[in-house]
Amino acid sequence: MNKYFTAFILLVLSVFYIFFSNDSGGGRIFVNLLTFGGIYGLAAIGINVHFGWTGLLNFGHAAFMGIGAYTTVLLIPHSLGREGVVISTGLPLPFAIILGLIASALLGLLLGLPTLRLRGDYLAIVTIAAAEIFRLLVRDFEDLTGGVYGIIQFSDSLQNSRPDFITQFSENYNISSAQLWVCVLTWASIVVVLVILSRLKKSPWGRALRAVREDEDAVRALGKNAVLLKLQSFMLGAAIGGLSGIFLVFNYGTVQASTFVPVLTFYVWAALILGGVGSLGGPALGAVIFWVIIAGTDTISRFLFESPDGQQLAGVRFVIVGLLIMFCMIFKPSGILGDKEELLLDVK
Amino acid sequence: MIEQLGNGLLLGVIIALGSVALSLLYGVTRIVNFAHGEIIAFGAIMTLFFSSSPDSSFLYLDRFSPLGINFIASVLLGTVLSGVFGGLLELFLFRPLRKNNFGNIAVLVVTIGLSIFLRHIYLLFASAKPTSYILELQRRQDYFGIQLTPRNVQVLILGFIVMVLVGIFLTYTKTGKAMRAVRDSSELANVSGINSDYIILVTWVFSSMLAGFTGIIQGVINNVRWNMGFLILLLIFAGTVLGGIGTSFGAMFGGFIIGTLVQLSAGLQFMDGHTEAKNGIALALMIIILLVRPQGIFGSKDRIS
Repeated sequence: MNKYFTAFILLVLSVFYIFFSNDSGGGRIFVNLLTFGGIYGLAAIGINVHFGWTGLLNFGHAAFMGIGAYTTVLLIPHSLGREGVVISTGLPLPFAIILGLIASALLGLLLGLPTLRLRGDYLAIVTIAAAEIFRLLVRDFEDLTGGVYGIIQFSDSLQNSRPDFITQFSENYNISSAQLWVCVLTWASIVVVLVILSRLKKSPWGRALRAVREDEDAVRALGKNAVLLKLQSFMLGAAIGGLSGIFLVFNYGTVQASTFVPVLTFYVWAALILGGVGSLGGPALGAVIFWVIIAGTDTISRFLFESPDGQQLAGVRFVIVGLLIMFCMIFKPSGILGDKEELLLDVK
Repeated sequence: MIEQLGNGLLLGVIIALGSVALSLLYGVTRIVNFAHGEIIAFGAIMTLFFSSSPDSSFLYLDRFSPLGINFIASVLLGTVLSGVFGGLLELFLFRPLRKNNFGNIAVLVVTIGLSIFLRHIYLLFASAKPTSYILELQRRQDYFGIQLTPRNVQVLILGFIVMVLVGIFLTYTKTGKAMRAVRDSSELANVSGINSDYIILVTWVFSSMLAGFTGIIQGVINNVRWNMGFLILLLIFAGTVLGGIGTSFGAMFGGFIIGTLVQLSAGLQFMDGHTEAKNGIALALMIIILLVRPQGIFGSKDRIS
């Protein structure tokens, strides 16, 4: 129970840090951190299915998140691009979300087919390349995606379903009601996804996945189709990533070419490694603590530079992200909640 | 399309040099080094630091001032320092990891972290905006129908000479042979009396020198910026996969093809107005290669699964 105690202490300290480091509007910043933590946590749960369960290296999560988000947003009423062309007809949101998740899973299938037969590091190269191709395509096909001008005015589909007590609560505590609704939905989906995943993990299918991670040849010898198992895991994790991408764009209220850049993936990886590879709830916890750390780095920037501009803030953030990934992987590869036996550190 | 051929050859040489460095390191150490691009940028930025005139302010913080020494000397210093940098990475990061039996996947994640860390250190401490070396401006001239500046022709020739030298080094010198022996089987090499720790260190230094030199060439042709290494890394991966990961001459060939093709495709009709999409073509090509011939053109089958 020691690690759960550590996790609890870290969480309490994080919350205290938020409230003491901000004289005004602690509640607003708290909800903001919780929303981003939830969204990145959901994305990290997706990578965890890939890496933690099956041992697949996915460094192109931004593409899965992006394709899910773009598919969903383009299917509901929105306005597009430089001229702001209004498209007022569209599918109901739940259908659009389901189609978005299917699109993410299909991208997983598309990328998985050529690479999952090969050794793990090929997948890393191909996914990172796919994320870059995705970024280029989104930017260049402005007619479809709005390019750098992006897509706006799609939030209503989600916000119309906001219950009154959320609106009232946020008015009482001076919080953005739209963000609070996204936050509640994100954490609700995390709970649902985790319940499903915990069932799957105990199922024969989940055990077979972990067997693929440990020793693929042994799985083959037992007559299981290892490539098919990897493909299924890849599609499942991609769909979870797509869901997090959808929440991300609803949180921003807009989506541009710069929303799903390849570096997004590394934020998610840092959250995953911090929280604990292979554990069920670890990624979500890691994402919250990760965002508290990120908020803390802005304080460091202000200490280093007199008045840091956006580039310096981002620079310091990513220096910390890089260090975090390196140090966690080297000194505490099981993260906060991870299980040492669940790791594939000595796999050659 | 023909007007892009000169630029295509230049990019081809850059990617070829970068690919052979990456592939050699992979062959000997089994590390897929995502921080390779940052070593490339290191060479370019160091050379910029040595060669820029002392009163220019390319450094973001204004805490260091450039040294303003001779350009050729700066290039040599930049290349050597890249090698030292690579050697230090091996001694203080990757050798301890190897001694502690870290698996390849864990090391790969570490190189990703290292890459993010270094790249943003450059952003904070070095050039945040694209900066050029102080070289006289030259007019493009006609060489057999290919338009290039005289300096770019020199760079092209120098690049080819370095490639030939790398080939000679790997084929004929004792160290080069030892590297290839460790690459093919480190146990057998150890039994034959090759000190594989020493060879791995030499490989890191050699590969990093090549990488740093690649960055300098890129800086001379285009400009120096903090994320130049990351932008080119994906093309280098594509080149290495095309030629066969772990091979030296294959990677050189694959890198050259990828670089030239990418630049040539920028001249195609339907690419008008999609300047950055040319990189997408290289990456798509890489995925297709993995589909039909995953070991690359010159690779051997046992390396891939």
